[in-house]
Amino acid sequence: MKNEEQDSNKGSGGPPRLTVRVQTPRGLWSMTEPADATVRPEYPISTKIERVIADAREVFKFVEDDSKYTLLLGTKERLEPQRTLASYGIEDNTLLVLSVQGGNA
Amino acid sequence: MSVPVEVTLQMLEAELEVAAQYAAAAGLVLDLTELRAGRPTAYVTFLNADREPFLAEFDFREYPLHPPTIEFLSNDRSRRGTRDLYPAGFHGTPCICMRYNRKAYQSSGGPHADWRLLDWRLPTSKGVAIDSFALMLSDLDSKIGASRGRLG
Repeated sequence: MKNEEQDSNKGSGGPPRLTVRVQTPRGLWSMTEPADATVRPEYPISTKIERVIADAREVFKFVEDDSKYTLLLGTKERLEPQRTLASYGIEDNTLLVLSVQGGNA
Repeated sequence: MSVPVEVTLQMLEAELEVAAQYAAAAGLVLDLTELRAGRPTAYVTFLNADREPFLAEFDFREYPLHPPTIEFLSNDRSRRGTRDLYPAGFHGTPCICMRYNRKAYQSSGGPHADWRLLDWRLPTSKGVAIDSFALMLSDLDSKIGASRGRLG
C-alpha cells in the first residue's frame, strides 16, 4: 500500500516531517523493520494519528475492524485519532505503542 | 496428550523477543525468572487507569497446544484468584473470560462449555485472534488500563 501523504509531500515546500517507531504486538515498525514493510513511518507533522494507526495495521495485517486499536505515547497516554502528530509535540524517532484489544466473550 | 516442558519453553523463547519489547514499550513489568529457571511460568504487572498494580501469573504448561492459565495474585504472591485481586470489568467467576485463558473453559472450572481448548487461537467475537503472548499482553493491558477499582 502507498502512503498517500508520503507521496503528496515529497520534495520541498511541504510541512516538516518526522519519523516515529511503533511497537506492536506483532513486532516493531520502523524505517528498517520489518524488512518487507510496504510503507514506512515517516510523516508530515500534520498527519492525523488515525493515519499512523491505519498504516501500522496494514503493515502487520491487523485486518479485523471489530477490534480496538489505540496508539499510546509513553506508557499510558492514549492519542486521539483525529489529532495530529504535531499537536502532541511528538519528536523525531519517538517510540509509540499500538495497543490491540480483541473481542469480548 | 501432553506437551513436554522443553517444547513449551522453546515455543515461548521464540515469542519472548516481541513480548518483551512490547512489555517494555507499554510499561509492563515482565518477570521471566521462572522461565529462565526452566519452569513455564511468567509474571506480568499491569496498571489500571489509576496506576494501581495488578500482578498476573501466566502458567504456560501444555502451551502451545493449550492456552496458558492466567490468574491474578497478590503482589507478595501469597494469595491468588480472589475477586479482590482482579481489576474491575472481568468475569465474576472470577476469570479473564477470553479464549487465551485456560481458566475460562468449563474443563478448568470456567463458564465456557461452548469453547474447545484446541481452538484457543480463534478470535473472540469478531476481533483479532489473540494467539501469542505479546497479543495477550496487549489485550489485557488495554482492558486493565481502562478500568478503575477492583472486581470485589
